[in-house]
Amino acid sequence: MLVITCPVCGVEGEEADFHCGGEAHITRPATENPEGISDEAQRDYIYMRKNPKGVHFERWRCDRGCGKWFHACRDTVSMEILGYYGITQKPPATLLKKADPLWQAHFEAQLKKAKS
Amino acid sequence: MSEALIITPLCDREVPANLAISMTEIVDRGMIDLRGLPKDKKFMDAAKAALGVALPTEPRTSAQNGESLCLWMSVDQWLIVCPRKETAALLDKLNKALEGIFSLAVDMSDARSIIRLKGDRVRETLMKGSSIDFTQGGFEPGTVRRMLFGEIAAMVHVVSEEPDVFDLMVFRSYAHHAWDWVEATATKGSEVGFLKPAEAPAVV
Ligand SMILES: [Zn+2]
Repeated sequence: MLVITCPVCGVEGEEADFHCGGEAHITRPATENPEGISDEAQRDYIYMRKNPKGVHFERWRCDRGCGKWFHACRDTVSMEILGYYGITQKPPATLLKKADPLWQAHFEAQLKKAKS
Repeated sequence: MSEALIITPLCDREVPANLAISMTEIVDRGMIDLRGLPKDKKFMDAAKAALGVALPTEPRTSAQNGESLCLWMSVDQWLIVCPRKETAALLDKLNKALEGIFSLAVDMSDARSIIRLKGDRVRETLMKGSSIDFTQGGFEPGTVRRMLFGEIAAMVHVVSEEPDVFDLMVFRSYAHHAWDWVEATATKGSEVGFLKPAEAPAVV
């Protein structure tokens, strides 16, 4: 059982008072170029997840509080929540450093794509 | 014009005699859902002018002006609870004041059902259905708390203390479920009694 504190309204509650929205920072490929999306890209978007052992980034909703979405950084081994950040924000550098290298690669790839 | 006939969701329910608390449906309230941005001064000023009181921005609090209540629902949402007969006029006043301002005010009087719970066992009864510890501080009169209660979305408004009076608000379609839940968990003899200090064990 997780005890979560909503960073938006400050309410503390247990897991069932919140709703987990799954892995964070997933970009929908079709928003950029709907016709040119390969089956593989669509498959990856819908089904492929990082599932790291350790520090992970997730979306959560304050279901029984303010109703707002936010990001949480959680250790999948210890279940410890290491921090929160805004729903429109990228993870703080201190948390990203602790995360699995595949997260670092994820943001680097996103940045590269945005530049091209 | 003939008077509108208002049928409340729990009007056919009788209050059982064997309860450790008292429970009644509040039937004469109208409710307005109000949304807007607290950082927008124009919105806050217009709402205050129409409601006669500033919207509470502190989470889980409320503000009162006579018989009208402004309950904090979210960082950009409030529930205005007022006498049913005055709802249409108040909504009109709000909409006029908020004209041209990014906001929303809608009559939601029939969306929710209000069950008033009264008595020393109210906190204990609510705790049987939620994850919230009502014995800790932070539940003084005026407090508003949204929660998962008996597996459904609900909200309580602390009306007063000693004796405790809590208004339990649930969506209309869940009204009977909430009523049944309270009926079952507040029956006389089902008291947990942990709110009173335990008696010291006898010294042997
Ligand atoms: Zn919240």
